[in-house]
Amino acid sequence: MSDRPLFSPRNPWFSISVGVTAGIAVLSAIVGLVWLPLVQPNVKFSGLWDAICSAAGVPRAAVRDASLKPEFKTSGVVMTPQMLAGADQVSIGRGATLAQRCAICHGPQGVSDANSPNLAGQFAAVTYKELNDFKSGARASVVMVPFAAAMSDRDMKDVAAYYAYLPRVPSNNLDVGRPAPAIVVTGAPMRNIPPCGSCHGDIDNKAGSPWLGGQSAVYIKAQLEAFASGTRRNDISEQMRNIARQMTAEEIDQAAHFYEAQP
Amino acid sequence: MATETDHGPGEAVAARIERRWATLSIVIVALLVGMAAVIGIHRATMPQARVETADPKTLHLSGEFIESNLGSAVEPDGSVTVRAIGQQYSFTPQCIVVPAETPITIRATSADVVHGFLIEGTNINTMLVPGYVSDLPVRFSAPGEHVMPCQEFCGIGHQGMWGKVKVVDRTAFLNMTAAKRRLTCAD
Repeated sequence: MSDRPLFSPRNPWFSISVGVTAGIAVLSAIVGLVWLPLVQPNVKFSGLWDAICSAAGVPRAAVRDASLKPEFKTSGVVMTPQMLAGADQVSIGRGATLAQRCAICHGPQGVSDANSPNLAGQFAAVTYKELNDFKSGARASVVMVPFAAAMSDRDMKDVAAYYAYLPRVPSNNLDVGRPAPAIVVTGAPMRNIPPCGSCHGDIDNKAGSPWLGGQSAVYIKAQLEAFASGTRRNDISEQMRNIARQMTAEEIDQAAHFYEAQP
Repeated sequence: MATETDHGPGEAVAARIERRWATLSIVIVALLVGMAAVIGIHRATMPQARVETADPKTLHLSGEFIESNLGSAVEPDGSVTVRAIGQQYSFTPQCIVVPAETPITIRATSADVVHGFLIEGTNINTMLVPGYVSDLPVRFSAPGEHVMPCQEFCGIGHQGMWGKVKVVDRTAFLNMTAAKRRLTCAD
């Protein structure tokens, strides 16, 4: 052991090992930050500094170049899993008053036999989104559009909160002993049909997907057919059309009648 | 304190061994850097050259991932850009149509959680991370059909998330573009 200082440029072991390590680091940086980005076939860099920043992962907003605009109105609602959670009593009370005009089709307690959707106990995000889509024209309905047109954002939130607050009432078609068809329980994975319950609330709820139990079979069937044919297009980024398109007429029928018989 | 004269031959042996170990570790590091460079250049690892962001909540409102802009588009230079999104539980477009023997750029992102974008029979395999755009230059050598299952667990309906990729002859593809500017084979 010598008494020369270990960490000193005069110690050849120290200077050579630090020099070689630094050399490897500089070389690797040139390879990774300059050479590799410049040989990527699909990216044009405005200069060396741009290439270095890109390779180092400096984020930038995606280029907003000329996107093809839709020929029809799409839903403009921003859906998040937490939206409209925790409505207060004022909102629910206001919603109850506003909802009187809905009762003729949707029932005084949010349940009816008119083949219109039963809204009692429906997720607030669903009622709110559909009202928005009726108002904006993303979803067509000769009956609903005039009602929604006159509603403010607050009105829609309050009505949605009121119906979410009402307890679900079993429909007259309740039959819990009815066996669940395969299309509902397992879907058809290779055809891109997940189990209905993975979004519609039986297992998990994707924001905007309605609770289907107790809904009229006529209504469910009509909506699935409308999604499949593309006459209904207010599902954000085709999330329901993608699935309905793959369902056979028989599967649509089975799913509609199964959910009608559920609580 | 010991002096150098105490172990002359011992020190020489130690120095030689130190040098060899140092050389070995430098060779290993150089090999690893070289490997990363080679697989990056030959695109075995599909490195992402740019980090681009897109708000997952508002993809359907504006920007390049609005519904009408999804699908395959022919660029002025003859290449094709495919735009797609992953969401719980489907890809849109659900069926992607692309020409064979053509440079293709796939741009995709997620509208909710992390999804996996994998085209069976090719080395195309990346994650769709909400907030970020995945950008891949690819090329299909021959016409054919591939399945495209989501390969990142994305929720309880994950196993039902399967897309399709249809590779068609280049001329057939260009004929299809005469009628529509964004092509899919979804309906």
